[in-house]
Amino acid sequence: MSESAPSAAETRRIAEEARDRVRFEEEALQLSDQVYRVARRMVSTREEAEDLVQDTYARAFRSWQQYTPGTNLRAWLLRILTNLNIDRGRRVQRTPEQQPLEEGDYYLYNRLESTMPDENPDEERVLERLSQNAVVDALAEVPHDFRDVLVLVDIGEFSYAEAAQILDIPIGTVMSRLHRGRRILKQQLAEKAVTV
Amino acid sequence: MGCGCGDCEAMMQPYMDRVLSDDQIREAKEHLAACPPCEKRFRFEEKLRVFVRVAADEPMSEGLKEKLAGLRSAS
Repeated sequence: MSESAPSAAETRRIAEEARDRVRFEEEALQLSDQVYRVARRMVSTREEAEDLVQDTYARAFRSWQQYTPGTNLRAWLLRILTNLNIDRGRRVQRTPEQQPLEEGDYYLYNRLESTMPDENPDEERVLERLSQNAVVDALAEVPHDFRDVLVLVDIGEFSYAEAAQILDIPIGTVMSRLHRGRRILKQQLAEKAVTV
Repeated sequence: MGCGCGDCEAMMQPYMDRVLSDDQIREAKEHLAACPPCEKRFRFEEKLRVFVRVAADEPMSEGLKEKLAGLRSAS
């Protein structure tokens, strides 16, 4: 048997690898809507988000063999994405003293309610004081470290453990950043609330 | 300002995220049942999270979807 002719076993291995690769790509593509949703709120513009998602998929398809089948593919893709985002040096961190003052967890509700004429309004009506645009603008005001966690957990619906794995930080840090991030978001929302 | 006790405000986030112990959950539920202002603020918070998720969602363009599909090894 000549060296150049691949053995039956080798041919089978190549075919299996090709099949695994196609399956990986299909599964990854099915998650692209969810990956984009997170990416879009981690960066400022649609163009940046599209670039970031494209680079993420290009890298994922190149290094698909590093993915362990059966583990969380969505988290694996987001790990690539957040690393690329950090590599791009897009993070302009605020220094701690520039970070907004934090209010308590009831702050937004109390602020919105205080603008309403009714004595004890329904919470649905209080929520109606907010516009969708205000949410987008308020999210953009949350400093990156807090926003990444907020976007992963509250928009991407990742667990604390998954967010910790994606961002490579301890779970305790995820929780504290999430809590602060939500407070900052609510404070920003209170400032942008519609006043009719 | 809710009931003014401060404890339930501090418990709001962990309660929503379901990371409290069984005892703490029972305590929070008992308090909420007896304190309509806090209960309303908790309901507001739950609805706010959904509102934020919906408002933040911007669908991916068809163009990007096609570009991603084009990155496949066997497209």
